[in-house]
Amino acid sequence: MLWTEKYNPKNFDEVLGNAKAKDEIEDWINAWMVGEHPKPLLLVGPPGTGKTTLAHLAAQEFADSIELNASDKRSYDILLRTIGEASATSSLFNQGLKLIILDEVDGIHGTDDRGGVRAISKIIKEGHHPLIMMANDPYSKRIKSLKTKCQVINIKKVHTNSIIALLKRICIKEGVDFEEHVLRTLAKQSKGDLRSAINDLEIMARGKKSITSADLEVISKKDDIHNIFDSVRTVLKSKNPQRIREAMRVEADPAFILELITENVPREYEKKDEIEEAYEMISQADTYLGRAFQTRNYGYWKYTYDLMSLGVALSKDETYRKFARYANSSVYTLLSKSRAKRDLRDRVADKIGGKTHSSRRVVREQFPYLEMMFQDNDLARELADYFNLDDAEVKLFRSRKIPKMKKTKPKKSSQKDTENKVEKKESSAVAKKEGKKEKEVKPQKSAPRKTKSTPKKSKPSQNKDVKKLAKEKEASNQKNSNTKKKSSSPEDKEKQVSLFSFK
Amino acid sequence: MQGPWVEKYRPQTLEEVVGQDHIIPRLKRYVEEGNMPNLMFTGPAGVGKTTTALALAKEMLGEYWRQNFLELNASDARGIDTVRNDIKNFSRLKSVGAPFRIIFLDEVDNMTKDAQHALRREMEMYTKTSSFILSCNYSSKIIDPIQSRCAIFRFTPIKGSQIIKRLKIIAEAENVTATAGALESIVYFAEGDMRRAVNILQASSTIDNQITEESVHEVISKAKPQDVRKIINSALDGKFMEARDLLREVMVVQGTSGEDMITQIYQEVSKMAMEGLLDQETYIDLIENIGKFDYRIREGSNPRIQLEALLTKFLLKDKES
Repeated sequence: MLWTEKYNPKNFDEVLGNAKAKDEIEDWINAWMVGEHPKPLLLVGPPGTGKTTLAHLAAQEFADSIELNASDKRSYDILLRTIGEASATSSLFNQGLKLIILDEVDGIHGTDDRGGVRAISKIIKEGHHPLIMMANDPYSKRIKSLKTKCQVINIKKVHTNSIIALLKRICIKEGVDFEEHVLRTLAKQSKGDLRSAINDLEIMARGKKSITSADLEVISKKDDIHNIFDSVRTVLKSKNPQRIREAMRVEADPAFILELITENVPREYEKKDEIEEAYEMISQADTYLGRAFQTRNYGYWKYTYDLMSLGVALSKDETYRKFARYANSSVYTLLSKSRAKRDLRDRVADKIGGKTHSSRRVVREQFPYLEMMFQDNDLARELADYFNLDDAEVKLFRSRKIPKMKKTKPKKSSQKDTENKVEKKESSAVAKKEGKKEKEVKPQKSAPRKTKSTPKKSKPSQNKDVKKLAKEKEASNQKNSNTKKKSSSPEDKEKQVSLFSFK
Repeated sequence: MQGPWVEKYRPQTLEEVVGQDHIIPRLKRYVEEGNMPNLMFTGPAGVGKTTTALALAKEMLGEYWRQNFLELNASDARGIDTVRNDIKNFSRLKSVGAPFRIIFLDEVDNMTKDAQHALRREMEMYTKTSSFILSCNYSSKIIDPIQSRCAIFRFTPIKGSQIIKRLKIIAEAENVTATAGALESIVYFAEGDMRRAVNILQASSTIDNQITEESVHEVISKAKPQDVRKIINSALDGKFMEARDLLREVMVVQGTSGEDMITQIYQEVSKMAMEGLLDQETYIDLIENIGKFDYRIREGSNPRIQLEALLTKFLLKDKES
């Protein structure tokens, strides 16, 4: 068991710091217990300060709880359904109360989790269930509307001294000898993130008898994102070559550093020509990354490092004296938000590729065409069948489910029929299809009625569908079309007769 | 069940393969002799490399071709381990019911150099039992030792007249009609790529089974990466972040490839110049840059970063009003 779990507080008393927040939460629980319906809670604070822990402790006080976090897809429907199920089982009595926990509500994504915030608002408005939500970023636009409807509780970073005390306790329990200053350094480095402090301690101390300052090396080498942001800041803020080179001494994948510099260039640089020049440097740095990867000659990395650091730094005319808010690359956010979608894409591409002897890349280039083909019900059914795609996978190409194969399709056949009249030269081909179609149709229902309303798109599909059938019984078809050739359209009856006889 | 037309009408024999008239007769001779060296098929997408390889394998290996044919495409894990294990295990066994075994690897240019070196060794070791067919887009990305061990066949884009001929055959078999203009348009957009041509034909047929130039154009415009004009306009207006966000959305979330994007950017810029939205000097300067970044992308850089860099070139330009 990870130490972060093992030493997770078992009750509110064991939670470090945030005394006021604890009181507020306990009051809130008590209110529910006496039958009141207080506003939902919104716990806001940096990572590792105990938001989730507090919510889980609160959950112990209720009969049951349900939790959704950022890795769940949280669209309107999913939220309401999951929570709806939860509430359906709850009764009016307190012991039946189900606590709903929504973690990382600021991470609800605009398009992927369409309507997520709306769904939450609806649940709040109904107010039947105790609800606790958590968020990291107090300024997130996504939770702005939620804030007014909730009781906001700020969870603060844990004080260094409290962290040291806890680390000591853990060391004693685990039987690890320690030097006081080592734990102090650990606690300070964690910047109030209790979880990371415990994780670091575990890396250093697990399975050992004692820890010394030498063990700290292991930790300090593990560069976290803050250090990288410091490097990025130096590159963008400074023009001092010495300092910039220094900043590149950070343990991270150069592609990652490049991505972060790229992300923040337009946040720092204001002039267009500066952005352009910086991007030229970035582009070249990236070219060397590609060459290094392809040739496995990582000597190219040195050019990448120089171009993305000095090259980008010297692209600005003067250093800016302003505060720019730097951000992690939106690409990573997009990637994680779209993971489900991309997985689906790959899965479908693999299935299709297996049938068509092509790689994912090649198949993906054909997606737009497949999307158009899938708009057609019959063709969609045929293709889905051929590629063995399930309903979820078909959704990649069309929003609606493919309707089940019907025995009767009077609409389509009638459409065909009118065409038949118009297009004489087509008549034989159409007739063939027509004839086949009729086979499935009850005789009296057959021909021209709903012609006008038939959407254009549905036509060709039918061809194929019919075609397929036609192929299966080529001989019969052959004769059929021959008879048809001579006859003109209105003779549906005759057609049917001949067909049925063949059947 | 026959799948999409590209699969349904994939030529099954060497005789049927369209275009590549300079290649097919030589491959037929291999079949007659009952022996073949290691082969490398190079050429752009959709010109028949895979089709030819499959047809050749069938004719060469006969009835039991499936048991003696191993196909590994680029989506399969193809690191050194695969080369060392899967290929080794397959190729060192003696063939049953066929003169030898054939291993087909496509997109070899996307394999790492290390894996290519491992492959080279396998090619040497099992010459008695197995032959390789490798396919790639650019032979320049294949290490020399592999190139020297293969008979190289350069597949060329398929001629317009040959594509039209094939499309007509398919159209007839599927009971759809296509006007001459429609076929010309398909050929124009397919750029010698038969797969694309057939896909356009089938997609057009779902709009109307009398295919016209208009339906073809509708398909083409739907198949293109969307939002490219919007991205360009944002950049021209100096709204770089807006343009960049949209570009990232299109590429990361929608999964549009860098090559598709840059082709589309080129086309949009050309169109804008024709519409008088860009002056000639701006236009030619942008083209110069598009070409530069196109090259960098194909060389193996990160397409998204390169395209973002290309967008900054639009920042300094003004639209003609």
